[in-house]
Formats: sequence, C-alpha cells, structure tokens
Amino acid sequence: MSTQLLIAALVAGSIYALIALGLNLVYGTMRLINVAHGEVVMIGAYVAYWGISLLSVGPLISALAAIPMAVALGAAIYFGIFRRAMQSMEFMERIEGNSLLVFFGLSVILQNVTSLLFTPNQRGYRYQDEIVHFIGATVPVNKLIVLAIAAAVCVAAIVFFRRSTLGLAIKALMQQREASALVGIPLTQIELASLCLGFAAAALAGILVSMTEQISPFMGFPLTVTAFVVVILGGLGNVLGSLIGGLLLGVLETFGVALTGPSYRSIMIYAVFIGVLLLRPQGLLGAGRSRT
Amino acid sequence: MMQRFGIVAALGLAVSAIGSAQAADSVRIGFSLPLTGIFAPAAPSQKNAYELWREQVNAKGGLDVAGTRRMIEFVSYDDQSDPGQAAKIYEKLISQDKVDLLLGPWGTPHHFAVAGVLERFKFPMVGDTAASVQLRDLKPGYIWFPTSALPDEQGKQLPLLLKSLGVKTVAITTAQHPFALENKKFIVEGLKANGIEVVSNAEYPLDIRDMTALISSLKQANPDAELSLSMTGDSVLYTRQAKELGFTPRVQFALVGPAATFFTKIFGNQVDGLLTMGHWSPSQTKWPKAKPFYDAYVAKYGEPPDYLDSALSYVACEITEQAVAKAGLDHEKLRQTIATDTFDTIDGPVKFNGVVNATTPTMFLQYRNGVFEIVWPKSEATASVMTK
Repeated sequence: MSTQLLIAALVAGSIYALIALGLNLVYGTMRLINVAHGEVVMIGAYVAYWGISLLSVGPLISALAAIPMAVALGAAIYFGIFRRAMQSMEFMERIEGNSLLVFFGLSVILQNVTSLLFTPNQRGYRYQDEIVHFIGATVPVNKLIVLAIAAAVCVAAIVFFRRSTLGLAIKALMQQREASALVGIPLTQIELASLCLGFAAAALAGILVSMTEQISPFMGFPLTVTAFVVVILGGLGNVLGSLIGGLLLGVLETFGVALTGPSYRSIMIYAVFIGVLLLRPQGLLGAGRSRT
Repeated sequence: MMQRFGIVAALGLAVSAIGSAQAADSVRIGFSLPLTGIFAPAAPSQKNAYELWREQVNAKGGLDVAGTRRMIEFVSYDDQSDPGQAAKIYEKLISQDKVDLLLGPWGTPHHFAVAGVLERFKFPMVGDTAASVQLRDLKPGYIWFPTSALPDEQGKQLPLLLKSLGVKTVAITTAQHPFALENKKFIVEGLKANGIEVVSNAEYPLDIRDMTALISSLKQANPDAELSLSMTGDSVLYTRQAKELGFTPRVQFALVGPAATFFTKIFGNQVDGLLTMGHWSPSQTKWPKAKPFYDAYVAKYGEPPDYLDSALSYVACEITEQAVAKAGLDHEKLRQTIATDTFDTIDGPVKFNGVVNATTPTMFLQYRNGVFEIVWPKSEATASVMTK
C-alpha cells in the first residue's frame, strides 16, 4: 500500500518538479513571471495527442517535435517581445508586473487559439497502459515511463547547473546579474538559452502529462498555479529548490490525502505554502537573493 | 487612398445589404454557450446538436413557421462560462438583436440565470442541458426542461436497479459539485429505504489529481457496487486509477462523464458494463427518430453524440420546431403550445408538466460494445443489465 502511494507521490512530484524547473529558469534569469507556462505544457500535450491520433507516433517521438516547437516559441517571444522591451528602462523598472501582463495575454491567446483550432473538447489517448507489478504496487507502464523520464531530466538538470559552462553561466546570471555581465557572460545569449530551456522543459512535461491524463486547451492554468507554488516553496531562482519543492508537493498531496481525506488537499498544500512563506520567505533553499 | 476607402465602403454596404436581406427572410435564433472559460470543454456537444438541427431544417427548405418555410440563422455569443454573462446576453438577444426564438445556454446555473430574463420579457424557451431538483421550484411559464435525469428520481430508481442485481453493499465517492452532491443526498436516502448498506462514503474536490488513497480505501471496503458520483474530468481519473489499482466491483456506476464522447474514446471496451445516468439511446427502436439522429451526428462530426447534452439539445430544437410549426412566432401562442402539446422527439414523446418533462421516465444506461443501451427501467430497456 505505501509503495503504491510512494509511486503516486513520485510521479506527481516529478512532473511538478519538471514544470516548476522551467518556470524558475525563466524567472531566475530574466525576472519574467511566465503565467503562460502552463499553456506551453498544453501545447506539448496536444503535439503528443495529435502525434498518436493522426500519425500513430508514440508520445516520446512526438517530444522530438514538441521540444523544438517550444524552443521556437520561446525564441520568438524573446526576440519579438522581450528583447526590445527589456532595453526600455521603464519596462525594466517594473519587469515583473509588466511581464506578468504580457504572459497573461499570451496565455489567453494560446488557450483560445487552441480552442478555436481543435475545439475545447477534452481529449485523451491510451499509451502503454498495461498494468505491471512493481515492488509490491500495481502501476501502469506509462506512469513508470513518466517517472523515469522526469527523474532523468531533473537529475540531468542538477548536473547541468553544476558542471556545464552554460549551466554555470545561467546560475551566475540568476545570482548576480550585473556582476556576471562584468565578468563577460553574454547576457542576451544566456537569457535566450534559459527561456528556450524553460519552454522545452514545459513542452516535455506536457508530453508526459498527456500520457496519463486527459487534455484540453484550458489544462494549463492549474498547472501554472501549482508550478508557482512549487517555485516559491523551493525558492525563486533556485533550480534545486524547485526540484525539491515539486517532490515535496507530490508527497504532501498523496500522503496527506491518504492520512486525512481528499477534501483537505488544497487546505494542506496552501497551509504548508503559507507556513513556508512566513518562516522562510526566501523559500526552502532560497538564499535571500540580491535585489538589483 | 480615397479610392481604397471607396472600395472598402462599397464592400461594407454590400455586406450589410446582404445581411439585412437575409434577416428579413430568415428566422433568427439566439443562444449563448461557454466557448471560453472553465465550461468550454462541455460546449461542443451542445453546439454540434444545434448546428446539425439547423443544417437539417435548412436542407428541408427552412423552418416551418405556421405554414411558411424560413431559413434558420443563428445569433450566438460566448458567455465565458459565466451565468451572469449569459443573463446579459439573453437580454441583449431579446431586446437589441430582436431574435425570433431562443435556445438554451449550457448548464444548470446558466439556465437559472436566464430563466429570470425570459420571465421578464415573456419570451418562451425550451431549455436543455440542466438538471437539478431546484428546477422544480422555478415558476412555470416561459422555460421548460426535457431532462428526466433529475436527482430525486435518480435517487429512487438507482437503488431499485442495484437491488435487482442483488447488491447488498455499496461504496460512494462524490465530487464536490452541486449536481453530484444533490444526487448523493437522494441516492443515500433511496439506498437506506431499500436496505442496501453504504460501506464507504467519501467526497473529493473537483480539481483532484490523484485518487490512489481514495481507491485503495474502496478496495478495502470491498463493496458489491461502487457509485462514482463524478463530473467529467474526475470520471476519467477515477476510471484510470480504479483499473490501475485493480479495483473491480461487480457493479460500477458513474454519474457524469461516461455519456460524453471523449470518455469512451479514451477507454473503449475497457469500460464495458459501466452504468451511467441518461435517458436516450440510439438502440431504442420505439423512438424511430433516435437512430437517424445518431447516424446523422456521426456522419457530420465523425464521433458519437454526447448521450446527455447532445441528445437533450437536439430534443429542445425538435420541440421548438414542432411548436413553431403549429403556433408561429407569437410568444403567447408559442408558450401555450409548448406548455400543453406532446412532442415527438428522438427521446420519444415529450410533454411538460410545469417546467419538467412529464412523460420520459428516469432511466440508466450501460456501455456495451461501443453503444450505451438503456437497461433501466425494464419497460424502456433496450438490453438487460450485464454484471461481472
């Protein structure tokens, strides 16, 4: 029984972590509040759905199309909107609020364009849903695939931010924007890379979500809200923090519900959320970031 | 520049001339649907039914308005899933757009919001996708509901169906949604009256994302039947996870969800034997219009209709059509006709008593090889109930 719950917690948690990772990357490097993050997840989910329904292509192969699409969308947004806007002092002074409005508009547009193109119908497909016994629990194969991929990406992200030059540069930008420009880190490229990586993570998360849940043009918003909770729990701009935050939320949701009842889910999540904000306003792993 | 302006102006005039020419001949029918917002996924099944009906009537040469045929033109708006917006839209449809007829919005709260507007303007409208015992409290007059899936009647009939299957114990899981909770109240009363024991009775919020703990506790309770008083999204989650955790009670019922097209598209024959609410089936041979509607819908949209929303919406169109053929567009005559006549629909004969359908009994459906069969009551059954 408890393995069953543990697997449910890990599957939920690793997806949350993956979604939050992308959101945090975009916020950490550019201070952009991307409330359209869930819509990128939704786009990934639709690519997987159409891949399997029209072309009989499995979702993992669809990821090869969804990720470049998300990267292209990220690049288009960067060059089309933010690169120019971020040169304006007025925009930069209130970048968090301004970007919130821009992304809110984008989120509404993406939702409704998807709804116009594909109807607002809920959709779903079956993929690898045979049940296997896995250390005392019964799990459909698709959940194991979700868990394996999400966990692998999260581990890869940790290694990436510790070892690779790009990862270190992104981290430097998150921690000290001005100083990193002074030591020769090319801001534009790094910002673009983070936005694209963030969107890629969201699209991949969408592929994974669609393997186990039904999808609709409006599925993104609740995911965005959850991702914000995770990011704030773990610490804004802290990548490892959002991984831990995601897992924590998955565990809290699954075991908390098992111990109390499903009606207490939201109460528990937000109680912990407010608790963390009161005791550690910078998040669990956040180290009071320097304000610029 | 002037020249271009001239062309645009001429085009504009031409378009408006076409518009007014059409408006003179056609019957304009107004409605709002949630094209955006939280209920948007529910709208297509209703919109499809309306559009299929318009297409069929226009193909016959138009709507018979007390003897003269006039083409149907829809005037529709997006109510953004907001009942308040729906009320404003219906007011606009009546007072500014001056539509000739109205069709229903989506969902119970929207129908309630619109009912007041209809009353105020004395504008009759046959509603469709609404079901609540509170409908019975609406002042009879300008709105009617063809549904027979009202929670109080379902609360009486479902326990009888379970009893006929030899069910002694049930577990109930209920989504925290007014319709599901209303059903639960009446079903629990009905179960008690029939001596069926409720061994587990849990509620969950609509935005639930994982049911591992809930279903594990159901499995331990080991009931003869499980009643999942679900809405749409959670019904998919429940079905997936019940299968995952190997919870397979002898009788499985789900409230809302299975009748929607996407549900059976996802699960196919995995949900064979699943019981659900509903009072229409293409298999019902004593309603000669049922199968042709199903076939026409499948031909136009490439998927089966929603057994509740599409069927009810089409029934509302049929009643409107037949009433207008007899009474024309005069509101008072139309109201009289709808309130007193019996209408021949895809759901059999429908006659109203007050605001509710007085002829169609409450029924239950069971999924069998790609189609929902009526399995209860026996007098209406198109197949006998199958259990594991």
